[in-house]
Amino acid sequence: MGYSVTKVIAITGKGGTGKTAVAALLIRSLSKKGKFLLAVDADADTNLPETLGCEDVKTIGDAKEYLQAEITKPRPDNPDMNKEAVLKSKVYEIIEEMPGYDLLVMGRPEGSGCYCYVNNLLRGIMDKLITNYEVVIIDAEAGLEHFSRKIIRDIDDLIVVTDASRRGFRTAERIHELVDELDSNVGRIHVIANKVTDTNSEKLVKLAEDLKLNMIGMIPLDPKIEEMDIKGVPLFEIPDDSVAAVEIESIVKKLGF
Amino acid sequence: MAEFPFEISPMFEGERVRKEGMFVELGGPKSLGLELVRAKPMDEIVDDKVTIVGPDIKEMEEGKTYPWAMIFNIGGELVEPDLESVVERRVHDFINYCQGIMHLNQRYDVWMRVSKDTAAKLDSFEPFGKAVMMLFKTELPFIEKMQVTFYTDQAEVEKQMVEAKEIFKARDARTKDLHDEDVDVFYGCTLCQSFAPTNVCVVSPDRVSLCGAINWFDGRAAAKVDPEGPQFSIDKGELLDAKTGEYSGVNDIAKKLSSGEFDKIKLHSFFDSPHTSCGCFEVVGFYIPEVDGIGWVNREYQGMAPNGLGFSTMAGQTGGGKQIVGFLGIGVNYFYSPKFIQADGGWNRVVWLPSMLKEKIAETIPDDIKDKIATENDATDIESLKAFLQEKNHPVVATWAAAEEEEEEEEEEEEEAEEVAVAAAPMMMPAAGFQMPAMASMPMMSAGKAGGIKITFKKAKISIDRMVISEKK
Repeated sequence: MGYSVTKVIAITGKGGTGKTAVAALLIRSLSKKGKFLLAVDADADTNLPETLGCEDVKTIGDAKEYLQAEITKPRPDNPDMNKEAVLKSKVYEIIEEMPGYDLLVMGRPEGSGCYCYVNNLLRGIMDKLITNYEVVIIDAEAGLEHFSRKIIRDIDDLIVVTDASRRGFRTAERIHELVDELDSNVGRIHVIANKVTDTNSEKLVKLAEDLKLNMIGMIPLDPKIEEMDIKGVPLFEIPDDSVAAVEIESIVKKLGF
Repeated sequence: MAEFPFEISPMFEGERVRKEGMFVELGGPKSLGLELVRAKPMDEIVDDKVTIVGPDIKEMEEGKTYPWAMIFNIGGELVEPDLESVVERRVHDFINYCQGIMHLNQRYDVWMRVSKDTAAKLDSFEPFGKAVMMLFKTELPFIEKMQVTFYTDQAEVEKQMVEAKEIFKARDARTKDLHDEDVDVFYGCTLCQSFAPTNVCVVSPDRVSLCGAINWFDGRAAAKVDPEGPQFSIDKGELLDAKTGEYSGVNDIAKKLSSGEFDKIKLHSFFDSPHTSCGCFEVVGFYIPEVDGIGWVNREYQGMAPNGLGFSTMAGQTGGGKQIVGFLGIGVNYFYSPKFIQADGGWNRVVWLPSMLKEKIAETIPDDIKDKIATENDATDIESLKAFLQEKNHPVVATWAAAEEEEEEEEEEEEEAEEVAVAAAPMMMPAAGFQMPAMASMPMMSAGKAGGIKITFKKAKISIDRMVISEKK
């Protein structure tokens, strides 16, 4: 099975910059190229599943709560339960099988108890699961919580999405700093400027240079995306010739595909 | 391993067979799936035999889900029924070593998928059965003979399921009856050491981990798979004291893993060399000196305990991997242990529990003490707790009289004795910067009724540069 090398790409950034849209467009582009990939929604606030046209998905959070409740029962029915096998089964069960790729949603944050043990089991399961795929694309919240917990250990490319706002860039800078504190291995860090217009593109380039951020793409403000959003059409169905989809193709090339 | 039509390797563990690439699904959420290992006498086993009851893989329709049961019989000089569950756990591993076969879950929830690629190479489940048995006999050499029956017929699987559930029930009953004295090995867990560096979680059959998540069986399974991992075995060594649960092996590991900070951990003791507390414990116990009893508060309880503190405050002071005499973090399951703080009176020492916790664990509280343990509905401070215990004649009340007599005698004998006996525990002090570990050396903490002086502080703020205590010559 599997791939000896799995490329893990995490996409993060300040809320509202359109990082979920960028993640969805990358997933769309790579799966269309026949790359077998796992899409991970690791931000409880986002809606990657809806953006991909998938609703009512179960989450890793649900699986963790299930196991946690089961194993901290005062009197477990089966003290010798194979907890790893049970959690793995739950995780494999919630993986949504989409045409050409799989989708996994991390979901809600933990309850109040101690999740060290469950997270440790989950880490082992994720390590092996990831090897099933050629590419893993993670839509991550700016705090990078799942990485600090090392649920997913290594990232090859970390992409920070920003809009033209100063705060978007600040977040990018902070993420840069955060990465240094993480135990996870992060290969390269890139920035994608999103919602770029003729008036702000120069400013964006300069900001990136000032902050020494490596810009690998500038996605123009695409009226098509807004239109699809209002109509409730999943972004996955965006036409190939839309300006955003065209720019994504160039980014995908720069990422080595 | 050229004799098998598919590849076999641990690297296939975790392999996901997707719906698109799947030939058939066996058991799982939409059907019945069972696995069971039975120990049998050698002469009842035909070694290496695979029997298939119901349609074989060639008779199965692509894309369909079938019920599935697999019963492995094992025999050998060293094979005994207690090993069944140990062997059964490995079914998951060994089936996953087979390329193109995905195995998930356990017992009566088994879920398998066979990939199209692998199915194309199989005329029957027979080579699959033989491959799995080969792995068992290679990795677990005490298995001398093994045979397996696969059931794919709905009625047969249902029948096997009913029988198996009875077997699991009996096995679980035996499991629950396992005690510290029945085993030679305990397990340690250092998952919490990242934030509680000197914490040494010792898991024994009569003591669940503080987080409640890891019992002795989990320790055993994890330590076998990855002996260098966070869960590892501890040879319990010599039994030094049965009552307190002191073992030489546990002391050794306590010394080693706490970097010399402690040299003893007594598993069933509250006061003397108690278990360290990590910070993730489900429940924290606290000594209430005024009543010489112990109260417990669980993480979910939002209110205050009679000592004026809530869970998070006590957890903050108790955690960090220290032995804090007067506080003890535990997993809820430890209430069910027959050795529950037996060194310090067990249930007879318990005076207070939040009502939600008391209800949750009601079945394990001995009947004669159940009504004598107060909840927040009976007592919210020391005075009301005292009154409640007195009214119900809780066993700790008997110790009060004895303690008072001693105190009176002391007062008569030592006129100069300065006693500050007021009615609140030191942990009630809101004073910031109070060093909890200092309490460990306070006499009142180490012995409720051992005589000597009793000092209780109230609203005190103490800073001591140096204190010398010496025996009266």
